[in-house]
Amino acid sequence: MLAYRFDVFASIVFQCIVMFATSFFWKALYSNSDTVMGVGVQEMLTYTIISALMSIFLTTKVEDRVIESVRQGSVAMDMMKPINLFGIYFAEDLGYLTSLLFQNAIPIIVIGSLFITIPRPASWYHFLAFLGSFLMSFFINWFLSAIFAMWAFSILNMNPLVQAKRHIIRLLSGSIVPIWFFPSWLAKILNCLPFVYIYQLPLDLYIGKGTPASMLPRLAIQFAWLMILAAAFAILQKRVLRKVMVQGG
Amino acid sequence: MSVISVEHLSKEYQIAKKEKGLRGAVKNLFVARKTIVRAVNDISFSIEKGEIVGFIGPNGAGKSTTVKMMSGILTPSSGHVYVNGTDPQKERIKVVQDLGVVFGQRTQLNWDLRMGESFEMLKHIYRIDSGLYEENMAMMNEILGINEFLDTPARQLSLGQRMRGDLVAAMLHSPSVLFLDEPTIGLDVDGKYAIRKFIKEMNRKKQTTIILTTHDLGDIQELCERLIIINHGIIMEDGPLEELIDRIAPYKNLVVEYFDENAVEHEKAIILSHVGNMVTYRFQKADLTAAQLIHDISAQMRIKDVTIEEAKIDDIIRIAYGGKENGEKE
Ligand SMILES: Nc1ncnc2c1ncn2[C@@H]1O[C@H](COP(=O)(O)OP(=O)(O)OP(=O)(O)O)[C@@H](O)[C@H]1O
Ligand SMILES: [Mg+2]
Repeated sequence: MLAYRFDVFASIVFQCIVMFATSFFWKALYSNSDTVMGVGVQEMLTYTIISALMSIFLTTKVEDRVIESVRQGSVAMDMMKPINLFGIYFAEDLGYLTSLLFQNAIPIIVIGSLFITIPRPASWYHFLAFLGSFLMSFFINWFLSAIFAMWAFSILNMNPLVQAKRHIIRLLSGSIVPIWFFPSWLAKILNCLPFVYIYQLPLDLYIGKGTPASMLPRLAIQFAWLMILAAAFAILQKRVLRKVMVQGG
Repeated sequence: MSVISVEHLSKEYQIAKKEKGLRGAVKNLFVARKTIVRAVNDISFSIEKGEIVGFIGPNGAGKSTTVKMMSGILTPSSGHVYVNGTDPQKERIKVVQDLGVVFGQRTQLNWDLRMGESFEMLKHIYRIDSGLYEENMAMMNEILGINEFLDTPARQLSLGQRMRGDLVAAMLHSPSVLFLDEPTIGLDVDGKYAIRKFIKEMNRKKQTTIILTTHDLGDIQELCERLIIINHGIIMEDGPLEELIDRIAPYKNLVVEYFDENAVEHEKAIILSHVGNMVTYRFQKADLTAAQLIHDISAQMRIKDVTIEEAKIDDIIRIAYGGKENGEKE
């Protein structure tokens, strides 16, 4: 129990450090200008807190779970249950998120509001649009993770790849630095990849960057990515389950 | 219809051959040399409702591989398995709904949950109705005495306690088929006794069809009406234990202690050894009974004591595995 408690505590501290460091960075950057790329410091700080909050809800265990259970062979026990294998992992992730909501999300939002700024959405409409878009982000992120996890059924040492994927998502999704600060050629490329639809788009909606007219096509692309990944997930899942390797006798 | 039928089932594992050292490591990146292990090689059998079948064989024979294929968690390289007429490869969920499995070396109890909570979870997963759940829990507790550990997290259970928990977990939903892969491994005498009793009771009360892999001779003798012996992925024997004994060791030995060093000969028995007053006769069970032999001998000479020796079960099993016949009782 002590080990768990330490884990929880350490993860909150770590998330706070990232949140504070990023907010100091923005404050320094904004010290001699009111707006950069049409965004004020207040919005940028809100962006930082909400991004930290989102990262909590976008933590998935599915890759680690599959890697561990394939390596130890306990995937056999999961497959003995009369339910979809990935359904088990999804349910476990949801359960884990519920615990994170109380353990991490609430502390982060309280600390952020007290010491950085109160993260107000641009308006109620923006908030609702954010919620809708974030729901899609959540599934895009989960399907991506699950598809990654499927590799673990055939590649036994997946950990490095999973770590790399996590960092790539954090960097290229606009979760730390919004992609409107990136060179425009890079931003164009990133707009074609699914990552920005995990963080950047919901965050833009929250702080009210961009007009409704410019947001609708992006939401459509987000929805398209969701569908593509869901389909890929469904197809790969079938194939992968057929060649599951159960280790050990 | 057979509860389980296995038709020409084979499984090949591909193993990447890795070379040693730094040079080898670099080489492994480019050319992955693969060797193929044929763990199960074209086996067929069928099992009827209510049978308890011992699926036995030496280490690495292919038992666990077969059990995994029968439970739908490992895809065969070729051949088919049907459990209650359904192919677990095609309809895994339908098959496992009516299947219980215990892998002695693993657990399906959640490491961090109390044992009772793991059972509750299974109750929801299998949609077991409360009446049946309570009834099964009570009945299984009677044999396995698990109620005292219901509040203990699985990681704090001893091996024997955990194994009892796993048996309960496998039978909670009253499956018609139960696969047990080494369910008594590492258990003490009491533990083995309880588990054997449990297996017999489940089979008797619920007509559960049970397939059991084990290295424990006690399990084999006490539980298995029928043995399927596998080695190198091939079925060596399939039949009742008695039949196997009769075929591999169709004889018995009779050790007779006389009052002096003279011994009687018998036309249907050979003398294996004659040391002092002790004489060992061997006779074929089909030709002669021990009673007849004793009667014939004692009619000619007074005898002090007799012992009947049967072939040792572990020797029989070893011979059936394809070992040498030198394990015979002399
Ligand atoms: N995941 C795997 N990858 C490669 N080879 C495997 C794998 N699992 C088993 N094998 C090989 O297949 C053969 C049969 O293994 P299996 O586990 O079925 O044996 P077993 O009869 O259960 O043995 P034991 O009595 O020791 O449990 C062995 O030679 C083993 O090395
Ligand atoms: Mg085995």
